[in-house]
Amino acid sequence: MTPAYAATPGGLLLVLAVMLPAAAALVMLVLGPRHTRLVALIALALGLVVALATGLQLVRSQTALIYVLGNWQPPLGIALRADGLSVMMLAVSAVVMAATGLFARELFGLDLATADGRLATSFWILLMGLWSGLNLVFVSQDLFNLYVALELLTFAAVPLVCLDGRGETMAAALRYLMFALLGSMLYLLGAGLLYGAYGTLDIRLIASASHHGPAMAIALALMIPGLLAKAALFPLHLWLPPAHAGAPAAASAVLSALVIKAPVFLILRLVADIAPPGSAAVAGQVLAVLGAASILFCSVMALRQERLKLMIAYSTVAQIGYLFIVFPLAGVGDGTAPWGTIAWTGGALQLTSHALAKAAMFMAAGIVAEAVGHDRIRDLGGFGRVLPLTATTFGLAGLSLMGIPPSGGFIAKCLLLTAAAVGGHLWLALTILVGGLLAGGYVFRVMDRALATPVEPLLLRKPIPLRLEIIPLVLAVLAVALGFLPLEPFGLLQIGRPDSALAVSP
Amino acid sequence: MSFATSAAGLLLVAALLAPLALATACLSRAVRARVPGLLWLAPLPALLAAGLLPTGTAIAFPVPFRMALALDQPGAILLGGAALLWSAAGAYAASYLRGKPGLTGFCVWWLLTLAGSLGVLIVADIAGFYLLFTLASLSAYGLVAHEQTAAARRAGLVYMVLALLGEAFLLFAFVMLAAGQPDPNPLIRDAVAALPGSPMRDGIIALLMLGFALKMGLIPLHVWLPLAHPAAPMPASAVLSGVLVKAGVIGLIRFLPFEAPLPAWGAVLAIAGILTAYGGAALGVAQRRPKTILAYSTVSQMGLVAAILGAGLAVGDASAPGLAAYYGLHHTLVKGGLFLAVGVAFASGGSRRWPLLLLAALLALSLAGLPLTSGALAKLAVKPMLGYGLLSIAVSLAAAGSTMLMLHFIAVMVSETADNPPSSAPPGETLPWLATAAASLLIPWWLYPALSGGALASAWSLPSLWKLVWPMMLGVVVFIAAKRFAGLAGRVPEGDILVLAERQAPRLARLPAAIERLDGQLRLWPAAGIVLLALVIWLGGGFLMAA
Repeated sequence: MTPAYAATPGGLLLVLAVMLPAAAALVMLVLGPRHTRLVALIALALGLVVALATGLQLVRSQTALIYVLGNWQPPLGIALRADGLSVMMLAVSAVVMAATGLFARELFGLDLATADGRLATSFWILLMGLWSGLNLVFVSQDLFNLYVALELLTFAAVPLVCLDGRGETMAAALRYLMFALLGSMLYLLGAGLLYGAYGTLDIRLIASASHHGPAMAIALALMIPGLLAKAALFPLHLWLPPAHAGAPAAASAVLSALVIKAPVFLILRLVADIAPPGSAAVAGQVLAVLGAASILFCSVMALRQERLKLMIAYSTVAQIGYLFIVFPLAGVGDGTAPWGTIAWTGGALQLTSHALAKAAMFMAAGIVAEAVGHDRIRDLGGFGRVLPLTATTFGLAGLSLMGIPPSGGFIAKCLLLTAAAVGGHLWLALTILVGGLLAGGYVFRVMDRALATPVEPLLLRKPIPLRLEIIPLVLAVLAVALGFLPLEPFGLLQIGRPDSALAVSP
Repeated sequence: MSFATSAAGLLLVAALLAPLALATACLSRAVRARVPGLLWLAPLPALLAAGLLPTGTAIAFPVPFRMALALDQPGAILLGGAALLWSAAGAYAASYLRGKPGLTGFCVWWLLTLAGSLGVLIVADIAGFYLLFTLASLSAYGLVAHEQTAAARRAGLVYMVLALLGEAFLLFAFVMLAAGQPDPNPLIRDAVAALPGSPMRDGIIALLMLGFALKMGLIPLHVWLPLAHPAAPMPASAVLSGVLVKAGVIGLIRFLPFEAPLPAWGAVLAIAGILTAYGGAALGVAQRRPKTILAYSTVSQMGLVAAILGAGLAVGDASAPGLAAYYGLHHTLVKGGLFLAVGVAFASGGSRRWPLLLLAALLALSLAGLPLTSGALAKLAVKPMLGYGLLSIAVSLAAAGSTMLMLHFIAVMVSETADNPPSSAPPGETLPWLATAAASLLIPWWLYPALSGGALASAWSLPSLWKLVWPMMLGVVVFIAAKRFAGLAGRVPEGDILVLAERQAPRLARLPAAIERLDGQLRLWPAAGIVLLALVIWLGGGFLMAA
């Protein structure tokens, strides 16, 4: 019998991507608070190199990278695998993490007394834990291994929310923890069911089983809502706005840009890789309905927020919705290969440009709050005059969220809209358009304040160094620069798809 | 048309990039201080391109910039007029806004709007068109809301909401238009050539017309225009009313298939245009402020352009775009000149204002088709295409409406400037205005033979003069009979039906409020738990049924 997985050259890079942040966290504990920042920055730099090398290796070999731990084949052992989409996620995470690291270094550096204090030290360690969990989600092939990754992610993300220790953020963090645990429980139940029915937790082995019984249906019906709870898709978003709005700016950036993308990624794998075609089509319909509701409902909520960070948090729930309407647009479950469609590419681009733009926006909001001392939108009149670079950052990131050219968000929405028009999904097309209008509304509200000339000019509580303002600006410019990608399905996303042994075995 | 690189093509690129480069240069402190004095230079490459380049000049940007530029006859006509007005208004702005706060920001928005509004006239691919159209639309917000008064903020808000709505219409139309093409970003002419056979034809045309009608201010989508144009500083009003509405005109010209007759859609556009022409004049005579009267006049005039295009579309007349562009050129220069005239006249007083008012009156009546002016030429040029039926009479009657509106404008200007202290406007404002006025009187003569197909002499033959004069006489008679509309002054609020809509605003606000309440309930633990369970059951049931 040929083994299910054959290790490929460069497979070790996947292990490195997961272990590097974990090792960094351990080194931090050993070396103590004084050196955490340095260790983190070195790890972030190395992580960027690993992501780059992974990408190069993938493009060179044109097949998925695979690593089989200890050479034990599943179902006994665990396999790591990265196809085009996973590598894209690894790369986006590395970029956003690196930017967040630099931003956090400058932000904590504003106040020398706390630069190496408890808050900063915890932040760096948690950031590394978060990153390790994220990378594991993107490369793991084993459902229990994925569960561990999700838990690591949750347990690193929750303390990040309440890093400042205020009662309000503690409550938000507990809310997050409780709901995420509910989600984990459902996921674990489903994984257990699958193990009972198939005797393995390996995604590829489960998918290749000749017959799927009701166990599969029930397991998926437990796991998908569990993951939705962690992804905070409407109407399961109860924990997200207070958590993301209450966290320190650097933490909000990674939470909103990356952490909630991990469960979304897993849902994608469950629906596209494991679910039998009939179930995948049903799941696609249900998820699209929730996604569309999320776009409309939470965009209106964002429009009505008084506080800048809450507005951005609601915008995150709305923007996540676009990722779920991809399912019917890409024809998931109708027997064709979804990853070759423009909708799939549109979804991947939406994910990437939202990660960059949202991180930039949260950082910009953090700078405003740091400089002005509050984030009440109404009282921010004229902040564009005192913080021109930050206002520009907000505007550029806003362009991407609104889907205005030239920006990654525009290309993403254009591709999704084209898929909706061609496929006859009129209601999804209208949702995309109305979502864009509402996003225009909430971005405009802030930009209107930025450009205003109030009677009493806004006073800065403390000076903001240029280096701090540049970092989010670079992210926002990257989000806009994605707009120069061609309007067609990407080859990268098709590498390593479909995930079957046939594609790899000689 | 070839898209190979050539010196002529590079001039087209310069027309687009010069204002963008100047806007970028504002990052430097040294440039920032000088930029107001440089505004008049930014549109000069475009002016040169319009004047010197042969039609058919084209160039494509290298990958990854997906944009192709091409110059055709309607584009060149509109580009020339627009560049001229931008240049004159730029010179005017440097003097008008000297020493006022927020000048740098104004200049940056000015240059971005300038780049977008000139760019849409020469861009040849769909994505590029959408990009530049959006650039012009969104940047113009900075001009509308510049003065930061309550009125300007309200105007800016209304403008932005409707501009974004128009963008959404157009995006959907463009996506459907490009969907059937092999190239994901096709040239506009290729996509439009396939439009009559597209299964989504009617949807696409309806959305295109809605999106561009919003930009042109066709009734009832005109509500933003009488608010936004007067709210901006004087030179910005001139370009908003003179040039920016032409983005809608060029959109209709580029995206409607004039090669193939579409009688029903042509009729829709023509009727909407005629109704707008009448409505704009009727609402305008009830206004008190000169700038608002001019804005309503723009609504009315754009209605006429829409009627011309509609008539062309109905019968598949390929000459309609050129004629509409010619009418647009006349309107660009005259309306720009009139807005600048208001600024100059307001700064002048005593006996010195009379020559100014006289010239302003000449420009104003040009809109009504006063013989020997550009308005007369434009109206005579389009006459043959409109035929001699109902539509032709309807358009003539619109000239009567324009006459009334412009007489009302002149009367208001005379009374508004009556109490000015004796002084005269600085030459930095007078000269650009005079240049615009002179251009409006001369340039259309030069283009007339090429467009109308008739000789210049035909423009002053007796039958032609009669065609122009009777509607004007009718307008004068009504103006006198209605006692100069004294009873109407101020009876219609600026933005007319918008005020009715705003009255409904509290009712509309109930939905978001209800959504907020629902959000509060959904975010309670019991509700979230029930939702989670419901999802499990919904998905499980669905999966079991599908299996």
